[in-house]
Amino acid sequence: MFLLQSRASCRLRESPEEGKVFTEGMLMNEERGVVPLLLVLHWKHGAGSPLPITPVNATCATRHPCHSNLMNQIRNQLAQLNGSANALFILYYTAQGEPFPNNLDKLCGPNVTDFPPFHANGTEKTRLVELYRIIAYLGASLGNITRDQKVLNPNALSLHSKLNATADIMRGLLSNVLCRLCNKYHVAHVDVAYGPDTSGKDVFQKKKLGCQLLGKYKQVIAVVAQAF
Amino acid sequence: MMNISLRLRRPSRMVDGKRMRMTSSFQRLLLTFILLYLMNQVNSQKRGAPRDLKCITNNLQVWDCSWKAPSGAGHGTIYEVCIESRSRSCYQSEKANAKIPALLPGDHEITINRLYDFGNPISKFTLNEKNVSLIPDTPEILNLSADFSTSTLHLKWNDRGSVFPRHLNVIWEVKILRKENTEIIKLVTHNTTVNGKDTVHHWSWASDMPLECTTHSVAIRCYVDDPHFSGRKEWSDWSPLKNISWSPDSQTKVFPQDKVILVGSDITFCCVTQEKVLSAQIGQTNCPLIHLDGENVAIKIHNISVSANSGTNVVFTTEDNIFGTVIFAGYPPDIPQKLNCETYDLKEIICTWNPGRPTALVGPRNTSYTLFESFSGKYVKFKRVEAPTNESYQLLFQMRPNQEIYNFTLNARNPLGRSESTILVNITEKVYPRIPTSIKVKDINSTAVILSWHLPGNFAKIKLLCQIEINKTNAVQELRNVTVRGVENSSYLVAVDQLNPYTVYTFRIRCSAETFWKWSKWSNEKKYLTTEAIPSKGPDTWREWSSDGKNLIIYWKPLPINEANGKILSYNVSCSLDEETQSLSEIPDPQHKAELQLDKNDYIISVVAKNSVGSSPPSKIASMEIPNDDLKVEQAVGMGNGILLTWNYDPSMTCDYVIKWCNSSRAEPCLMDWKKVPSNSTEAVIESDQFRPGVRYNFFLYGCRNQGYQLLRSIIGYIEELAPIVAPNFTVEDTSADSILVRWEDIPVEELRGFLRGYLFYFEKGERDTSKIRGLESGRSDIKVKNITDLSQKTLRIADLQGKTSYHLVLRAYTDGGMGPEKSMFVVTKENSVGLIIAILIPVAVAVIVGVVTSILCYRKREWIKETFYPDIPNPENCKALQFQKSVCEGNSALKTLEMNPCTPNNVEVLETRSAVPKIEDTEIISPVAERPEESSDAEPENHVVVSYCPPVIEEEIPNPGVDEAGGTSQVIYIDVQSMYQPQAKPEEEQESDPVGGAGYKPQMHLPITSTVEDLAADADLDKTAGYRPQANVNTWNLVSPDSPRSTDSNSEIVSFGSPCSINSRQFLIPPKDEDSPKSNGGGWSFTNFFQNKPND
Repeated sequence: MFLLQSRASCRLRESPEEGKVFTEGMLMNEERGVVPLLLVLHWKHGAGSPLPITPVNATCATRHPCHSNLMNQIRNQLAQLNGSANALFILYYTAQGEPFPNNLDKLCGPNVTDFPPFHANGTEKTRLVELYRIIAYLGASLGNITRDQKVLNPNALSLHSKLNATADIMRGLLSNVLCRLCNKYHVAHVDVAYGPDTSGKDVFQKKKLGCQLLGKYKQVIAVVAQAF
Repeated sequence: MMNISLRLRRPSRMVDGKRMRMTSSFQRLLLTFILLYLMNQVNSQKRGAPRDLKCITNNLQVWDCSWKAPSGAGHGTIYEVCIESRSRSCYQSEKANAKIPALLPGDHEITINRLYDFGNPISKFTLNEKNVSLIPDTPEILNLSADFSTSTLHLKWNDRGSVFPRHLNVIWEVKILRKENTEIIKLVTHNTTVNGKDTVHHWSWASDMPLECTTHSVAIRCYVDDPHFSGRKEWSDWSPLKNISWSPDSQTKVFPQDKVILVGSDITFCCVTQEKVLSAQIGQTNCPLIHLDGENVAIKIHNISVSANSGTNVVFTTEDNIFGTVIFAGYPPDIPQKLNCETYDLKEIICTWNPGRPTALVGPRNTSYTLFESFSGKYVKFKRVEAPTNESYQLLFQMRPNQEIYNFTLNARNPLGRSESTILVNITEKVYPRIPTSIKVKDINSTAVILSWHLPGNFAKIKLLCQIEINKTNAVQELRNVTVRGVENSSYLVAVDQLNPYTVYTFRIRCSAETFWKWSKWSNEKKYLTTEAIPSKGPDTWREWSSDGKNLIIYWKPLPINEANGKILSYNVSCSLDEETQSLSEIPDPQHKAELQLDKNDYIISVVAKNSVGSSPPSKIASMEIPNDDLKVEQAVGMGNGILLTWNYDPSMTCDYVIKWCNSSRAEPCLMDWKKVPSNSTEAVIESDQFRPGVRYNFFLYGCRNQGYQLLRSIIGYIEELAPIVAPNFTVEDTSADSILVRWEDIPVEELRGFLRGYLFYFEKGERDTSKIRGLESGRSDIKVKNITDLSQKTLRIADLQGKTSYHLVLRAYTDGGMGPEKSMFVVTKENSVGLIIAILIPVAVAVIVGVVTSILCYRKREWIKETFYPDIPNPENCKALQFQKSVCEGNSALKTLEMNPCTPNNVEVLETRSAVPKIEDTEIISPVAERPEESSDAEPENHVVVSYCPPVIEEEIPNPGVDEAGGTSQVIYIDVQSMYQPQAKPEEEQESDPVGGAGYKPQMHLPITSTVEDLAADADLDKTAGYRPQANVNTWNLVSPDSPRSTDSNSEIVSFGSPCSINSRQFLIPPKDEDSPKSNGGGWSFTNFFQNKPND
């Protein structure tokens, strides 16, 4: 389902949603299909070292004016993600059945090797770039998890709902971070990497990778939310 | 040989006696040697010839015979094997075996000799097929492959059937080994036949353990089962082992992966790993490990239970990780139940079913359904991957043109199996139309409309049966069935007649095919108002003359909607006399009466109702009433909601009876309502929402002749009687010593609330505050009751009463509705005067007699009485101990010192008897006087009462030499009775207002010894002091000075007994033992006390 590329390069400018400021719950239905498509196009199997950001002199323009209070929006979205991450994690591993809830350290430990780094003490620009990579990574992985769980647990509606809600917020956050990078720092291009595709893996691997990813997400989003 | 040697040694001992026996033994020995020699010769000949001939065959056509070559035979020896039969055939062989064609059953002589070796004997054998062994060639595995996903081994080999001359049964045995070929886990046989040509055979075997778990090896051998072969048949050798192994990568993996199995199955999981596995568990259950090659381990699960949606997790735990797989245990699809195919529109067939038992498999493992139609060969598929499982199961199948019969087969399939269900339907009989929509109504006339609707679908080939539901207010619902021919454009219309004009109707429609299968759902309701028509009847009229008899008031009722047939706009009133009609006025609708000035001619009044379409037929009524002299007023009681009036049939009544009624308390003309009853009726039930229970109504029954009405009956009645709301007002007309005459008044009709049936009169002895007649109905014996049913009686005399006695009288009225409230009165009968006189005279006479007798006795015994009760009292002035410098009676203001000289009273008498216990009030009166002498002076002299004396008790004698020296007086402290038993603190006001302050004797207590001023004041009034000087033991008490404060306010008007000034005073002294008694009376005996003090209760 996801195309494999040796290295992913995401041209934010090309995104149909470029420059649009998202707030919580503002996402339109068609956006839900576009973002995964973009992620598909930039799929990279396994760890991918992000490429450097766009040179400063690169042109950067957003299609829509950015919200004046963008950083607050970003902070709120991060807080929202941070607030719901643990519940999503619990909902996920509970839906996977035993022995997941009782072996979280080995089955759901945040052992995601190629997860984009984040340095809380960096400059705002660096942090925003790193946040962009993290959210892009998480968004793609969340798409995989949502797809897998819809097949594996078609009746776990609350899990699906929470996964979708989280993905929605992430898309909004991604757009806001883009706006901020573009407007203030003139960054139009951030190389991103994505986690492993689970479509070809066996069910247990899907469950385990999803659980590890959500465990990592819960851990990272707390740090990121704190940093902003 | 030993035997021989022994025999050789023994002859020397038996030479003499046994010569003959020695000769025979020798002969035997010789014969033995000869025999041994001969045998050796024979054996030597045999060792030189082929021996031990054995024959086997592997194809039943050639026997491979072999023998043991003679010892002397070397390389290059050629054997000739000959089969001695009719046609002798020989075969030469350089080896010790020879292939000969299979021989027929039976013995065959075989000779084998070495060619070119003439001295050697020829070996002869008898060879039979029974001695030949059939041992097939070792089979060879052509191919061994594995399907890891299904854990199945596929084996392929050649049976080499061409070598066998005929059809034969061949048994193949396959063995499968694991654990590096040390454990045979499967040994199976497989039967085939050979038919003279080589055939490749396939055999598959599904392993209970995933093939990835360990190396599997397979070998094969065979056994030819030829029933015609009489020799020994043996298994071939095992073929070389062929191995199947999975080449693991470096990652640890658990097998099988994502497998779907039947609930209750046994299954083996293995973990292919380089690490040491510590434990394994399925769900939450730990399982024992089965060690395989290397670090690989397996677990075996028996009777696996059904999985959750996300499958059952099987995990293997290593030191720092968990590896696992997911298994989906479920069920094969159940046979689809309640398969039903129908059509909404004859365009599309919808088939629905119930999946039956849940499979517990979801997502890609969920059951897929295929609906196959056998006549057309078309099918549609149903597959859900992510949809919730509670969705209805249905498939749509497009109808084929000109096909009415459909044979559907619904196939259900999942990874564990399949099932199917079939149905054969004539689709024109399974029409379930959709909801009719777009209901429209169009007028035809006031009683008929056209109803049209839209019913989606192509029903051109069938007829539709539709049901029209017609509702109108306050009417029974009506259903009309109509059959319409189906159309392609889905528009239908029908005419609906037999409706009422100007009526709101609600229509709704549902349809089905004429060959009924199901009704469609009801359409939405459509309201419609039919058009107006002329009123069908004239209004119901009545007339009343005004109270002055000059005006006739015409009343009419509004027409009911079903008779008005439209909105009534106005009414035309006209009157006619002798064919001459005069239209009087047009009254607009809301008004339903008209007042006409008429003379006393008998007019016919007509009333006509008009709506927008036209006028109603006139309603006529005569203005004058037909007189009736024989009229009585009757009574009637209703049934709660109405009243039933009956009358006799009167054939002379040609038009409707009229019953009118009104509230009896209303003024004339009184008309609440009226009701017309057909002339052939003899009864009518009058009902009205205006009727109220407990209200009296007048009902008038009119008969009708030629539009003229005659009053037939006048009835007063109640719809329901209630108890009176007030009590009858009654008064006492007359009272004597033994009777009371009571009169009461009528209760107003409005408050009676029913027909009065009587009064109940109760009476009993009792006073106003103490007597209450309770439980009048309980039949108390002391209550007398009189039931007065004669309604004309307005008085009642109650006799046989007691004189001067209070009686409680109660009167209440009652109707059939119950008892009214009661009214009560207390009356005291007059006194009986004769008795009273007797009661007075007798005590007076007795008292006079007693007084006279007492006077006589007293007179005669006056001296004794004087000595006994009134002895002479010694003069205290004669006592030196009490000698003052001047007599206090003389009003000397100077203080007198009490000289404590011995004093012998003239005569002191002490009574030992306990005095009457005084009231506490008496003592309390005294106390404040003693303590507050200055306040005592303020007391009103008129309020002083005589108080008794209470002998003082000396609390303490305080020697006061200084004072004695200064004043020459000794201090004696008195205490009054009150102080002896807890004097009550009284409010100051009470003390001030106490009328006894300063009256009579005042016990001296806590007297201010040096109160000179007071003393002076006291001296001033000394001559007025009338207080008693306490006489007691002079050793224990001292006389308070006469100028004590108490004495100062003594008024001369105060009546005091026993004053020290009065030598005639005489007091009874109360013994000291009574001092502790709080009730001890401080008062002395006197006639005044005798009359004034209340006796102790």
